Amino acid sequence: MWSKLFGINAKRQRLFELLHSGALYDLYSDPFPNPKSLIKDVSFVVLDFETTGLDIKNDHVISVGLVEIQNLGIKLTTAWHNIIKTEKNLPESSTVIHKITDDMLLQGVGLRVALDKILTSLKGHILIAHHAQVELGFLNRLCQDIYKCNFLIPTIDTQLLAKRQLLRNQIMLQENSLRLFHLRDRYNLPAYKAHNALSDAISTAELFLVLVAELYPDLDCTLKDLGLKY
Amino acid sequence: MDIELQEIRDFVAQHVLFDELPSALLDRLVNHLTIRYLRRGQVFPPVEIADRQLYLLRSGAVELRDSDGNLIEKLAEDDSFIEQCLHNNKVDISGHVCEDCLVYHIPCSIIQKMRAESVDFDKQFSNSVEQRIKNAVSQGQQRGDTQSAMHYLARDLTDRDPVIVPSNETVVNTARLMTEENVSSVLVVENNKLVGMITDRDLRRRYIAKGLDKDTPVSKIMTTNLITIEDNTMLSEALIFLTRHQIHHLPVMKNARPIGNLSVSDVIRHLSTNSAFIASDIEKANSIEALVHISNRLPELHLQLVLANTSSRQVGQIFSMLTDSLTSRLLELAEQELGTPPVPYVWLAGGSQGRNEQTSHSDQDNALFIDDAMQPGDDEYFSALSQFVSDGLNACGYVYCPGDAMATNPQWRQTVSVWRDYFNNWIEKPEQKALMLASIFFDLRPVYGDVSLFESVHAEMLSNARRNGIFIAYMVANALTHRPPLGFFRNFVLIHDQEHDKTLDVKHRGIVPIVDVGRVYALSEGLNAINTSERIEAACACGAMSQEMSENLIDALEYIGNLRNQHQVELIRYGQKADNYLDPRKLSGLERGHLKDAFSIIKSMQDVLEQRYQAGRMV
Repeated sequence: MWSKLFGINAKRQRLFELLHSGALYDLYSDPFPNPKSLIKDVSFVVLDFETTGLDIKNDHVISVGLVEIQNLGIKLTTAWHNIIKTEKNLPESSTVIHKITDDMLLQGVGLRVALDKILTSLKGHILIAHHAQVELGFLNRLCQDIYKCNFLIPTIDTQLLAKRQLLRNQIMLQENSLRLFHLRDRYNLPAYKAHNALSDAISTAELFLVLVAELYPDLDCTLKDLGLKY
Repeated sequence: MDIELQEIRDFVAQHVLFDELPSALLDRLVNHLTIRYLRRGQVFPPVEIADRQLYLLRSGAVELRDSDGNLIEKLAEDDSFIEQCLHNNKVDISGHVCEDCLVYHIPCSIIQKMRAESVDFDKQFSNSVEQRIKNAVSQGQQRGDTQSAMHYLARDLTDRDPVIVPSNETVVNTARLMTEENVSSVLVVENNKLVGMITDRDLRRRYIAKGLDKDTPVSKIMTTNLITIEDNTMLSEALIFLTRHQIHHLPVMKNARPIGNLSVSDVIRHLSTNSAFIASDIEKANSIEALVHISNRLPELHLQLVLANTSSRQVGQIFSMLTDSLTSRLLELAEQELGTPPVPYVWLAGGSQGRNEQTSHSDQDNALFIDDAMQPGDDEYFSALSQFVSDGLNACGYVYCPGDAMATNPQWRQTVSVWRDYFNNWIEKPEQKALMLASIFFDLRPVYGDVSLFESVHAEMLSNARRNGIFIAYMVANALTHRPPLGFFRNFVLIHDQEHDKTLDVKHRGIVPIVDVGRVYALSEGLNAINTSERIEAACACGAMSQEMSENLIDALEYIGNLRNQHQVELIRYGQKADNYLDPRKLSGLERGHLKDAFSIIKSMQDVLEQRYQAGRMV
């Protein structure tokens, strides 16, 4: 009863009723996966944004990378990467990090096309991101700008999952120990040289598989076990 | 395809199976990969994957075992597991993850489609172990047609340090030094830097002809602004320098220091270093010193032959022929010194020389058969003769046999009758330990003297050996003591369960097992041949060994022999002593793959022998 009124699917239903068509409407048209599902039976979308900064209101998404996990395998057929076209010039500091120049941005897809692609991919899936509040924040703002509607998706944050695993093993956390690069190193995953949205999405996906295997060696865990409560 | 997948693409592209895949197919392959994390202890291939897959390990390690639980292989980073895509029936291999793995996998159905589209890829994939070795051997030989002796580097020819004087040295002292050192040029240095060169011609034209004072320093008459070359310059390029600039000397530099002074005559001498010249020089040599001098050229000949991609079988024949010449010349010199032998004798070479399988790095194994007419006291002569030859060989670089299987050992310097008894004894009353030693003597080949002394003993030995099943079974058991490794695991040679080697002893783990097989067949079938490849060919001709097996074994021997030759000349090139130890880290993925194929051929031959003679019971 409680979850029927206040759970994520009830919220989804209310948002769905505000919309009439479009990718967000499609996303909300089906119920989110049941939290009692075994994770091997659920499909995930691992998402990473490169942005001009962390200020959700004033910064911009400049590129998107995503890849799906099905049956606990990362499917490269689903790998997608795109640079998002923007009218605003890039601040110099972010160019250095992401090596994306203004010229490249002009060749990218428009914001609307990119958002719709992400929303379409997410349908029937669970979102995974590392430090997910960045991706969730920007997605929410984009949905508000374009669809005048809030964004909602059940999400697993690999940073929180890693924190849980490390604390369970009584490992002292330091300032940087929850960053993607350090976590990969800790779990002996090979280092990727490139730094872009897709390679970071794949990195995050690999980290997710490691964390699941570390927390549940028999892989018999449900979405609820991983912290999805709704 | 997304440029962002480049790192994964690069990883896949460097794998042996995919390195020649057309770019479009490689993209498709990468796009169809699934990445999976396998935890320690998990079954491999993972049970949760229903359809057949090809696996590539990105990190971690996997152990594979056969149905009896024997370790077959250990996979690590960069290794692949393709068995599911090769056979139609269920694969009888099971394994488990021994270190957490990140694996890439792709359905066999997609591999199948790609094979249909690319003939090259299909070949690479479907080739049997045997075919792959055959291709590897023939590719090596094809390279030989296009490669010439000009692929030498300048450093290969700088076999002596350059003669150097400081710039304030007097011309007179310098001329004296040049005479002492027997060189036609010296290099001049100042503050450790090469500043000039003095040649005979400079002395004549700029000093004597000008009538300069005898205290004149070399800096006054030296040639400056020298043209130099780096030590890794190709010889062909060096030759162009010499002719284009009309100069006779080229200082060879390494890290800004001169390491040699290449002259036109060095190049000419090099081009004439071939086996025919060396053989004729040996025949003309009149002293041990002269022979030692000639044999100093053998490592360079080895380098030359290998760079020209001479087959290892041929390299073995050339070196054994030269050792035969050296031995014969030493025996002639010994007879000159000691006088006519009291009774006829024959000098025999055993081991690799006997089998015509020597390289520039070999020790000596030999024996002396003496006519039965030998009188007490005659042995003094033969003892001195043996000592002379054995010492001579040692001085020429063929070190004394560590097992003392030499004619200097009275046991192996005997009359024909005694030798006949030795062989009868080994055959009639075989003992494991005695036979281990005696194997050298089943490869004896006459080199000098009265060949008939050997022939009757050899024929009798062959006819006795093949009739004695127990003896043959012992020889088989002996042949099975040297097993090839399973393969490689990371930077180790994988021997078997729980056992790793840091280096691959390519002689005992690759060559000796095949040599032993050849000997078993020679003895069990009464074959006259001594050379391993010839023995195997003869075993095939008489129907004792299948055509397929004999070709495979010869290819495997050729491949391993080639790799050993390349390893040895690499050491020779850098002034090190040649040996038989390969460092797995220095092997390319392709070489590892081919070696593994060669090992599996040897193993299947050993399995055949083991079954046929049930030799397992003997050891």
